Amino acid sequence: MILINIDSLSTTELQYIAQQEGLENWQTLDREKLIDELEEAYGEQDDDISSSATKNKANRKRFCNALTDFRGNMQNVQGLPGVEDLPDVYAETAIHLLLRDPVWAYAYWSLSPGTKIQVFGEDGQLGGSLFLRVSSTSFLTNEEKTFDIAVGVDDTQWNVNLPEMGHSYRVALCYKNKKGLEMSLAESTEVSTYPSYWTDHYNEMAMDPNLFNIHFSSLVTKEGEIVDNAVLQEIAQTLSGGVL
Amino acid sequence: MSKKSVAFILNLHLPYVRHLEYPRFLEEDWLYESISESYLPMLRMLYKLREEKVPYSLTISISPTIMCMLTDEALQNRFNSYLELNRELGEKEIVRCAAEQPEFLEMAQFYLDQLKQNLTDFNDLYRGNILEGFKSLEASGHLELITTAATHAFLPLYQEYPTAINAQVELAIQAFLTTFGHVPKGFWLPECGYYPGLEETLKSHGITWFQVASQSMLLSPDKVRYGDYRPIRCPNGVAAFPRDYQATSLVWSNTSGYPCDRNYREFYRDIGYDLPMEYIGEYIHEPEVRVFTGFKYWAITGNTDQKHPYDRSAAQKKIVEHAHNFLFNLKRKGDVLSASMGKDPLYTLGFDAELFGHWWFEGVDWLEQVLVLSGREEEEVTLVTPSSFMAKEGETFQVARPAFSSWGAGGYSSVWLDGSNAWTYRHIHKAIERMEELAVRFSDQISLKQRFLNQAAREVLLAMASDWPFILYNKTSSEYAQKRLTDHLRNFNVVYGNMCKNAVNTEWLVKAEKRDILFPDIDYNIFNPER
Repeated sequence: MILINIDSLSTTELQYIAQQEGLENWQTLDREKLIDELEEAYGEQDDDISSSATKNKANRKRFCNALTDFRGNMQNVQGLPGVEDLPDVYAETAIHLLLRDPVWAYAYWSLSPGTKIQVFGEDGQLGGSLFLRVSSTSFLTNEEKTFDIAVGVDDTQWNVNLPEMGHSYRVALCYKNKKGLEMSLAESTEVSTYPSYWTDHYNEMAMDPNLFNIHFSSLVTKEGEIVDNAVLQEIAQTLSGGVL
Repeated sequence: MSKKSVAFILNLHLPYVRHLEYPRFLEEDWLYESISESYLPMLRMLYKLREEKVPYSLTISISPTIMCMLTDEALQNRFNSYLELNRELGEKEIVRCAAEQPEFLEMAQFYLDQLKQNLTDFNDLYRGNILEGFKSLEASGHLELITTAATHAFLPLYQEYPTAINAQVELAIQAFLTTFGHVPKGFWLPECGYYPGLEETLKSHGITWFQVASQSMLLSPDKVRYGDYRPIRCPNGVAAFPRDYQATSLVWSNTSGYPCDRNYREFYRDIGYDLPMEYIGEYIHEPEVRVFTGFKYWAITGNTDQKHPYDRSAAQKKIVEHAHNFLFNLKRKGDVLSASMGKDPLYTLGFDAELFGHWWFEGVDWLEQVLVLSGREEEEVTLVTPSSFMAKEGETFQVARPAFSSWGAGGYSSVWLDGSNAWTYRHIHKAIERMEELAVRFSDQISLKQRFLNQAAREVLLAMASDWPFILYNKTSSEYAQKRLTDHLRNFNVVYGNMCKNAVNTEWLVKAEKRDILFPDIDYNIFNPER
């Protein structure tokens, strides 16, 4: 649920939304207090992972024909006969890696009951631990590197940091027993990150104002706001000496 | 004198929403508002300019889900009911404004006139199918029509599943061919979502160009010579047209773009919220759910709730001013670029079509002004379509690789893959894998099993729509999006579970076919990776 351009709304509208949101004393709160309370209510709904993504303030909310998501329950749209709830995870041992941006990927995985018994024992008596082994291969040198991320038995997803661009990455779900013996249980397909040509050729652009203009004049608004992209902003900052 | 070319690309897309099981359904209004406030006014404007012999070229992408909804007779009838209900409200508003708020009377009359004209155009001119309007404008050479992925899936998050990517492209092109009688040359990448290699699938279906996000050129691993001001050719020959973020932002930005002008109409103030329930009750949604009605009388004014009444004549002056300013900016920038590049620039501008008229009330009028002004012979700005530009200058395009990118926040996949929606991919990917498995195990079935499997393919495709994760991210109609997404996946599992037992749940099938009837000619074998 979200409010849009909250300052533009009339006090009547704010009261209506506050009422829908179940805020106490909505009738007695003044305008400023209503806005504060509503902003606080919505702020609490943002979870940890989403807050790590930069929200674009210029992002128009498509498909909005009401100021609130009015449905109080999920039953408003009837399901069809014979459908069952989705499982939390599937009974298979697999891991997938999705590229979110050149620095972060999202991994999700599942362990089949059979694999769980095989590695941890019927009642978990064998112990041991799970970890993710992230492998990278450099496009330039073919050099391979790995690093591990410890995960819990009940974990099923992780945001994986990708340290360098110009590499392909894959991730394996691995088990380590009490004696330190390791076993790969499942491996993802590869994702690749390609470095920008300009990341390694700052000087070419720095020495040529025309080139700089050609490349950046389309990426910066008249007010000087650059496209929301971390790599691009880094290039711009380096080239402009922090002006952009 | 240098000549600057501009390629406007408007994307008509809405998720597939059709709930005939309810007399009225809130999210169906997304379609009705778009037809009423954007598509029909835009068609009127484009027809008018054609009659006035104003030369113009625009590119319009029409998504397969919109094609299906616009040609659906039941939704056409419901749109008529929507217009009739709003016309009734318009008649009431004339009386109310005359008596109580005469300062709003002019706009009340405007809205009523527009609703009446919409009814006439929709029923008499287009016989319920407004796609005929776009087809006519394409036939007369004013539009290049293209399409986008079948259910507007954000493709980079499905690159592990080339069969599903292919299904999104192939079905889209089939739907376009059925509707418009030819294969499109261009393909709108949903959310400008591009990953290296996607052009191979596009090429295999005869696509010659697509659009990409602005940063895709600067982030390319190759040294792109002209940034966003010239298209490039991917190594396989398909052209990529990078969007000009700066020029787009003149219009698109909702913090500094033209639509933010204080004289323009305020979107968020609507009588659906402002008037007493006893007056507005029957025109909003049950049970007493206040929604936008489209009757909006206030100007943006500023960051305040003390809005001024909307003054249409003041807004009209601003429209002319903003159209001139837009072209002035392109010309001024183009002069510098032409000198720097030794070539004239092409500006590629991509927008959601619903921005014009629906979100930005004056947007259609502004676009009209831009088309009229740029159509003048002495004007240095010429409107082109990507295909016409390629025909003329395609041989000169640099060969280079676009970078992984999108037009969402952060510039990659983070809008469609964040804490609010990442959970969905576990289930959608599994459904794709299982659909592939079904297509291999039960290839070329006939009769009921074929229908059962075809419906399964529809459910997988509907679950892949970029709209659901986008809505979950934006938290605008989250519960509906979550329900829709999980319903499609649960529906798919009905087929999977039954087929594994060699059974067909006919009750489910009949009901599912009635509910989600898009892609009538779908062949589930499209998911067979061995095909």
